[in-house]
Amino acid sequence: MDIYLCSKRPSWLVDNRRMRTTSDFQWLLSAFVLLYLMNHVNSQRKETPYDLKCTTNNLQTWDCSWKAPSEAGHGTLSEFCIDNRSRSCYQLARTNIEIPALSRGDHEITIRSLQDAGSSTSKFILNEKNISLIPDTPEILNLSADFSTSTLHVKWNDKGSVYPRHSNVIWEIKILRKKSMELVKLVTHNTTLNGKDAVHHWSWVSDLPLECATHYVGIRCYVDNLLFSGHKEWSDWSPVKNVSWTPASQPKVFPQDKVILVGSDITFCCVSQEKVLSAQIGSTYCPLIHLDGENVAIKIRNISVSDSSGTNVVFMIEDNVCGTVVFAGYPPDTPQKLNCETHDLKEIICSWNPGRPTGLVGPRNTSYTLFEGFSGKYVRFKRVEVSTNESYHQLLFQMVPNQEIYNFTLYARNPLGRSQSTILVNITEKVYPHTPTSFKVKDINSTAVILSWHLPGSFAKINLLCQIEIKKINSVQELRNVTIKGVENSSYRIAVGKLNPYTVYTFRIRCSTETFWKWSKWSNKKQHLTTEAIPSKGPDTWREWSSDGKNLIIYWKSSAFRQLTKPQNKSSFREDFSRQPQLRLILWLFNHIEPKSCYVQNDLQTEQAVGMGKGILLTWHHDPNMTCDYVIKWCNSSRSEPCLMDWRKVPSNSTEALIQSDQFRPGVRYNFFLYGCRNQGYQLLRSIIGYIEELAPIVAPNFTVEDTSADSILVKWEDIPVEELRGFLRGYLFYFEKGERDTSKMRDLESGRSDIKVKNITDISQKTLRIADLQGKTSYHLVLRAYTDGGMGPEKSMFVVTKENSVGLIIAILIPVAVAVIVGVVTSILCYRKREWIKETFYPDIPNPENCKALQFQKSVCEGSGALKTLEMNPCTPNNVEVLETRSTFPKIEDTEIISPVAECPEDSSDAEPENHVVVSYCPPIIEEEIPNPAGDEAGGTSQVIYIDVQSMYQPQAKPEEEHEKDPGGGAGYKPQMHLPINATVEDIAAEDDLDKTAGYRPQANVNTWNLVSPDSPRSTDSNSEIVSFGSPCSINSRQFLIPPKDEDSPQSNGGGWSFTNFFQNKPND
Amino acid sequence: MDMSWDSWGMLACLCTVLWHLPAVPALNRTGDPGPGPSIQKTYDLTRYLEHQLRSLAGTYLNYLGPPFNEPDFNPPRLGADTLPRATVNLEVWRSLNDKLRLTQNYEAYSHLLCYLRGLNRQAATAELRRSLAHFCTSLQGLLGSIAGVMATLGYPLPQPLPGTEPTWTPGPAHSDFLQKMDDFWLLKELQTWLWRSAKDFNRLKKKMQPPAAAVTLHLEAHGF
Repeated sequence: MDIYLCSKRPSWLVDNRRMRTTSDFQWLLSAFVLLYLMNHVNSQRKETPYDLKCTTNNLQTWDCSWKAPSEAGHGTLSEFCIDNRSRSCYQLARTNIEIPALSRGDHEITIRSLQDAGSSTSKFILNEKNISLIPDTPEILNLSADFSTSTLHVKWNDKGSVYPRHSNVIWEIKILRKKSMELVKLVTHNTTLNGKDAVHHWSWVSDLPLECATHYVGIRCYVDNLLFSGHKEWSDWSPVKNVSWTPASQPKVFPQDKVILVGSDITFCCVSQEKVLSAQIGSTYCPLIHLDGENVAIKIRNISVSDSSGTNVVFMIEDNVCGTVVFAGYPPDTPQKLNCETHDLKEIICSWNPGRPTGLVGPRNTSYTLFEGFSGKYVRFKRVEVSTNESYHQLLFQMVPNQEIYNFTLYARNPLGRSQSTILVNITEKVYPHTPTSFKVKDINSTAVILSWHLPGSFAKINLLCQIEIKKINSVQELRNVTIKGVENSSYRIAVGKLNPYTVYTFRIRCSTETFWKWSKWSNKKQHLTTEAIPSKGPDTWREWSSDGKNLIIYWKSSAFRQLTKPQNKSSFREDFSRQPQLRLILWLFNHIEPKSCYVQNDLQTEQAVGMGKGILLTWHHDPNMTCDYVIKWCNSSRSEPCLMDWRKVPSNSTEALIQSDQFRPGVRYNFFLYGCRNQGYQLLRSIIGYIEELAPIVAPNFTVEDTSADSILVKWEDIPVEELRGFLRGYLFYFEKGERDTSKMRDLESGRSDIKVKNITDISQKTLRIADLQGKTSYHLVLRAYTDGGMGPEKSMFVVTKENSVGLIIAILIPVAVAVIVGVVTSILCYRKREWIKETFYPDIPNPENCKALQFQKSVCEGSGALKTLEMNPCTPNNVEVLETRSTFPKIEDTEIISPVAECPEDSSDAEPENHVVVSYCPPIIEEEIPNPAGDEAGGTSQVIYIDVQSMYQPQAKPEEEHEKDPGGGAGYKPQMHLPINATVEDIAAEDDLDKTAGYRPQANVNTWNLVSPDSPRSTDSNSEIVSFGSPCSINSRQFLIPPKDEDSPQSNGGGWSFTNFFQNKPND
Repeated sequence: MDMSWDSWGMLACLCTVLWHLPAVPALNRTGDPGPGPSIQKTYDLTRYLEHQLRSLAGTYLNYLGPPFNEPDFNPPRLGADTLPRATVNLEVWRSLNDKLRLTQNYEAYSHLLCYLRGLNRQAATAELRRSLAHFCTSLQGLLGSIAGVMATLGYPLPQPLPGTEPTWTPGPAHSDFLQKMDDFWLLKELQTWLWRSAKDFNRLKKKMQPPAAAVTLHLEAHGF
């Protein structure tokens, strides 16, 4: 690309700008050379032409220009010579020349400046590589705007004719906006030059409506000729052309009524002469983008689907408002489930689901066109009414005669796009007939009817498949399919046979085509009673003599089981059957039955049988004598004669029959009789009793004790009635054990307790049982229960006491008496012989009773054991031996019996307790309460002696004074019952409560309660002495049974508190 | 005795009233009732339509979408010049005579009914169509009622000039937004007209009050 200035003098590089594309090495070398030569040139420049530059704009001619020598004046001639094969020179008075494009390779150019003072010559080497291809500035032929679509259309001429060769051209178009010419788009557009002028178009859609601002367009080009090796440059920009909109006086918003895709961006602008205050889309305010003048714009990104009336975009201007409506929606979805069928082969109904809603309604709603490919016919979907069911559309297409195959294409279109769906159908295979109408039933005979119906449609060329539903009352419905040839007049008839005479049937029908697609809906139901017919056979009959042998009982089965009794002495009888037409054959039956008679075998054994599930299986051996059939009749055994529930006839070759009946109930005994039929009549072959299912007996056998001895019991029982047995009796279970009536309970007989003895009596004929090896004078608990295979029946129990063994008793008495007598005799003899020694030993001299300290001694001893339990009073007893000497003042030593653990309480204080027989170890301090009684002080009467005696024995514990001394200190630990200040007045009870609270042990009976529970008692409000009487003497410190639970006469037992205590303490078996 | 005299006086008054009762025009069913009942009926119908319009306007403005359904939206009357204006200067309104008043009412509702029917055709939802159709029927009734009143009073019905019948033509130049503005103003004018009509008929009702009241008043004065 270097241009070398050639002359006789050394040539130099003239244009350093073009060195950029040489290799780096060349560049560096040239740079050095340039620095050297520039100085040299500068010194030479002014004398010779220099700076030759050549460009081309059409590749055919080159425009070369140079600079004349400095001394050359205006109008100086120059000679421009091209040295090639034929040297050509041009003389010209200017410094530029247009020469034809030179061939490839170097060409020597000589430029001689013809000056007055002489000539100066410069030589240049010119190569195509040094030529710049700069296309002419293009010019926009036309710039137009489609404001409705905001589209700019640019039109220009490529001037391809000036280029001799095929070239690619790159056009660069710039879009400028607003008066400030802001570049909004710079886009390249490629074309090719083919040697002819061509006009090119380019369109651009502006995001901003073109009405909103002036738009400017400029263009330049770049010719990319592959064969041209020179430098290629962009042309200059063409003069810009602009598009603007003349605003009206009223403000206006753009774009108007635009339909856009949901989610896209859109810019709205308001062209206004006045200031726009705000802008909103829907109810959302948007920031304003200011354009030229007062024009503003708003940009909406990702717009959402519009409401049915569109989304309003409103610009608020002072005293005015302007706006537009935008409809954001979706293009139509592909019609889904497109299906075409016909009801009558006259009209095709195509239905489809429009799919996703477009969000566009009214005039922007999706329009549908159904196009048939073979016939070229089409129908348009008319939206008659905005239906509520938008999910299903349908179109009617009139069938083309003689055309069965249809190729339907459904086109859907709305402002945002279009879609389509195709279906190819053979319409004869897509027949969904109408519902059959005018459905009628007519009789043919008793077992056949004719059904007729009307089915509109042109089915003459096809066969119909119809389904008839035949339903009999209380029976399963029957479906029959029939194929009928289609007819033109739409009336169809068909015969239906195999019906039962005189039966109510319900018919209905539905149809399809032979090439099944869909059943029509069912026609209306038609009920029809078939006509009557001659009966083919008589009813099932049975007859038997009544038990008295005077009446013949005839049974027959019809719709209901009937019984008729015919007196034997009458050859005929009358009965009105007019209301029972199904029984008309009964007289005919008589003639057949009467010759037969029954043979009864007397030696028949009654057998037993148990059923399984709902039936019972009877088997017998084949009997060749039985030529007719077998009859099994059965009845409830508990019914009185004549007993017949039902019978069943079995063919003569059968050997078993499973008898089933809804009347069978478990636990009921039935009699089954098997009759064999011979020519002479029926013969009873077997008699069977059986149960469908055995259950446990519902009653226990009644049993009684026939005989009782000291070691055995004889028990006898009765049979259980059959109705209550509910199964075959398999035996009895007899349980017995020792036990009283109240205490012995055989609660769990089945648990196999060792003390319960069981006897299983499997011989059901046995009605007695002797139980041996029993103990005498012992109560026995006897239980008897029956059982069947169904389970155990209830139990019946009885208590029996065996008799006493008198011999043993006598022996038991005589032996001790004899021993005692012998011991007494021996003792007497010994005593007589040793009487002196005995006297010395046991009867020494008796000391003076005046000096006896026995009482004090005993008292002190007892005092020492004051803290002990009253049971330990026994040690005091020996002291009384000494007291024996003074019988006059003290009772006998035998009184110590009172405090023996097994002794009974004295009954001196209350006559209300005659049954105080339970163990009490000591006398209660209640006795002490009597001591303050003035009567006790007298020491007079016999009764007083007893009291004194008791007092002296219990004095250590009972002394109230002493106890009061101990009480303050002894709050805790054991508190003997003596601490209870029974002798205290009622007023003291409160204080005693405090004491009680501190005591660890408390008497079982609340003393306070005793006082209070019987406030009504006259004695409770009396003096101190009467306090004693609120309970029995034993009751205060005893635990229980002091007052018999059942002693209702006792006033002490009336109190609630007392009863409460009693309730807890007087437990049975305690 | 005083009481007895009062009782006789009362009885005499009652008899007098009963004697005069057939003479009271309002109670005389056999005679011409006059325009009073029909004016009252028209007035009642106007009030009912006011109530009905409130419901319809709520539904329809919601259908138009914001900002039309915003309470403070008060746009200028753009492109709705063909709608009959209900607003009139008070002095002018007072100066109108009955005939002119009724004629204006009749003409206004004739136009408004026509526009409403156009609105009905344009409505996109079935529910809206039903509401509009119902209202149109009611408005038709009002129109007939006004015609009846005019006939009763002997006024001729205004004849529309040929070619000037209002038509609803949603031309392409009429943008959706301007159409919505028209709809908005149609509802607004309807409301104003109904309000004005109620006032008109109330005034007319009072004016056409039959002399029955005066007779009754006279009777009262006479009797007591």
